[in-house]
Amino acid sequence: MDYQKKLLPSKLGTIGYALLGIGIVSIGVSFAVNSHRAFFDYLWMYMFLISIGVGSLALVAMEYLVGATWSTPFRRVSEFLAALIPVLVVLTIPLFFGLHDLFHWSHPEAVASDPILQAKEPYLNVQFFTIRVVIYLAIWLIFFLLFSRNSEKQDLTGDPALTKQSIKLSAPFAILFLLTIAFASIDWMMSLEPHWYSTMFGVYYFAGTLVSAFAAATFCSVMLNENGYFTKKLSNNHYYSFGTLLFGFNIFWAYIAFSQYMLIWYADLPEETFWFIMRMKEGWAYYSIGLVFVHFIIPFLILLPRSSKVNPNLLKVMSIWMLVAHAYDLYWLIMPTYFTDGFGFGWSEIGVMMFAAGLMITVFKYRADRKNLVPVKDPKLQAGLDYHLT
Amino acid sequence: MSLDATYTRELPLVENNATLKDLDNIIALPTETKPTKGWWIAISISSTALLIGAISLFYTIYYGIGMWGNNQPVGWAFGIINFVFWIGIGHAGTLISAILFLFRQKWRTGIARFAEAMTIFAVMTAGIFPIIHTGRPWLGGYLLPLPNQNGVWVNFMSPLLWDVFAVSTYFTISFLFWGIGLIPDLAILRDKTTSKIKKNIYKVLSLGWTNSNRNWSNYERAYLILAGISTPLVLSVHTIVSFDFAVSVIPGWHTTIFPPYFVAGAIFSGFGMVSTVLIIVRKVFNMEHIITIGHLEKMNKILLATGTMVGFAYSMEFFVAWYSGNTFESFTFVNRAFGPYAWAYWIMFSCNVFFPQLFWFRKIRRSIPITFILVILVNVGMWFERFVIIVTSLHRDFLPSSWAMFTPTLTDMGLLLGSFGFFFTLLFLFLKTLPLVSISEVKAVVEGAQPTVHPHPHTNGKAIQEGGDGH
Repeated sequence: MDYQKKLLPSKLGTIGYALLGIGIVSIGVSFAVNSHRAFFDYLWMYMFLISIGVGSLALVAMEYLVGATWSTPFRRVSEFLAALIPVLVVLTIPLFFGLHDLFHWSHPEAVASDPILQAKEPYLNVQFFTIRVVIYLAIWLIFFLLFSRNSEKQDLTGDPALTKQSIKLSAPFAILFLLTIAFASIDWMMSLEPHWYSTMFGVYYFAGTLVSAFAAATFCSVMLNENGYFTKKLSNNHYYSFGTLLFGFNIFWAYIAFSQYMLIWYADLPEETFWFIMRMKEGWAYYSIGLVFVHFIIPFLILLPRSSKVNPNLLKVMSIWMLVAHAYDLYWLIMPTYFTDGFGFGWSEIGVMMFAAGLMITVFKYRADRKNLVPVKDPKLQAGLDYHLT
Repeated sequence: MSLDATYTRELPLVENNATLKDLDNIIALPTETKPTKGWWIAISISSTALLIGAISLFYTIYYGIGMWGNNQPVGWAFGIINFVFWIGIGHAGTLISAILFLFRQKWRTGIARFAEAMTIFAVMTAGIFPIIHTGRPWLGGYLLPLPNQNGVWVNFMSPLLWDVFAVSTYFTISFLFWGIGLIPDLAILRDKTTSKIKKNIYKVLSLGWTNSNRNWSNYERAYLILAGISTPLVLSVHTIVSFDFAVSVIPGWHTTIFPPYFVAGAIFSGFGMVSTVLIIVRKVFNMEHIITIGHLEKMNKILLATGTMVGFAYSMEFFVAWYSGNTFESFTFVNRAFGPYAWAYWIMFSCNVFFPQLFWFRKIRRSIPITFILVILVNVGMWFERFVIIVTSLHRDFLPSSWAMFTPTLTDMGLLLGSFGFFFTLLFLFLKTLPLVSISEVKAVVEGAQPTVHPHPHTNGKAIQEGGDGH
């Protein structure tokens, strides 16, 4: 392997720190001005980071599980992004100070006067909620540590037994990922409206997670490749796979989103429709229709032709687009509970997203400085570099 | 892609160093020889079942669907169960031929043809049920939105009508896809056969195929386009079938996870049936090196994945039924699992969720006897899944005074048996008349057939030779 490690430009670190700094200041001011809103913003950012961090770990596991080789040269990118998981553990703590701001069900007096909330009390109570959140974080953290330990060790030894070990790890993780992501989304987002329920909700967030984590991986991989950070420049064959899967995952999201909306609209039961009606009020209506275009129709049409799937510049734009679309989607899921009178967006929302962007850049840079950008002795690497479409 | 123990070398898809000529001979053999005793026995059994089905069908049409066990409140029963069951079976073929094609999964070549044929036969079987369920099948033409003198129009808001469109589109596209894939193989048969009559038939069917470069490039373009068109169809058909239930307000039917859950279940049941039949077929026709254990193992992995998804959906439904705080919802699910039809629920749950989990173990995935038992259980479990969804949600509805149990009649059982008879009779006829593996596609995945990449220039020439011998 003739891999020569190149450090990422230090400018990137500066940008990361700058965004992080502005974000922290903004979040601080936001909490001082309106802590209620600040907690919702914070939750929005938190869910976005879960999508990227945990979703990236799932992509790593998926590569092992299905025996893919084309993505092996880029696997480190997802491993670096998965390093958000330890940070997420810390970022969870502030949310526990805001449970009363966020969750209606956390108020004992509200539960006392509401028979439906009483029925849900065995699940929706602060104690059990805390236990569940700790379990999710523990699972994500343990698997993150195991996967990165194996991958790092293999850089030194090149032992195929480590690949086998990771394949074995990815099997239970696949199931645990599905369960933890589904229940984390129910806990953090669906229970914001504690009366509302949809069996699809967990799958909906799961679909969004995959799109956004994959978009992040696509963006970073194409950037690194175009700037010569890999051993050899990889081209159309790999780009085509990125483009196709980004396109495919996004269609999956649209399919889930459409099914959920259509079935609730058609059955027209008031205990379900109110959730969409909230998103059709004052200004939110435009936002909801916008979601269809931003998340599905526009990227669908742009990514459909084969020529755009192999165009690196377009792939960079579209992967950033999909990240924005995922944030847009999460905002749609979370914020109508706060902005009940109509749509709202302001500097405090921009602030949390600057924090999120800064954090992702910083974590990525931190990991990239300390590890090889390519899994240099992974036995599948050569097949991945030689990958060609047939 | 399967890699060897060092994760550096791809395992061959076709074993025993089969040459291209061997492939021609082995795959074409069943179409060139007289049927064996075993085949006659098999088709006697299946056509007897078909005959029983035909008699039941006659009773149904002559006396009306009062011959069935359907009652108030169980207005939908075997008719719809069988419809959904067979449509589900028909999902493996197109998944293999379209989606796996787009994903460039080369192992699909060994099983695609057979699975596509099964898809077509399963959709044909499924199509019978809604038509006879209308009670007056001779008026079936009104299912299509055609202008008529009576001014009678279909209800465009009804998912039952969407089913008509979805299923007929699915059948048409699958049939075309299958037919186009057959052309090069029919040309091989045409060139091989010595019988004049056969030659003429194959001549017509192979549309003047000459293996020219232009033939192939048109063929591949058509194949790719059809794969692209078929891909959304794999999802849409069972999604719309799930809408039949999910758009209603019946507890246990109206749940938003239904579309992906039904699609996963359909793929699950389709692969279950493909595996069941292939395990026998590969043995009988000596194709164990073309349809290898590796193929069966990969199908078992798909069964594991989709079975787990289905299990996730069962559990999520159960949880949300409780979480909703809606007494009707939670009643329905508790009634499913612990009510009078609990036996059906637990058959479904164990066959679809518990037993396929055994496929986590490589030994079990690669053991043919155990796989065979497990895939039979998958078939049973998926039939019971539709039974559970349809019957248990209806038999205890909102009005306790109208609660009733459902008992199938002899006619119901006869039609169920007959549907298997119809399906298998068509399948056995297919096995003797058309190549059950795509000859031209398998030739393309034989070792040495692909353009080779040479990672180490100094072993350049040698690498090609080694590839040719097939390690």
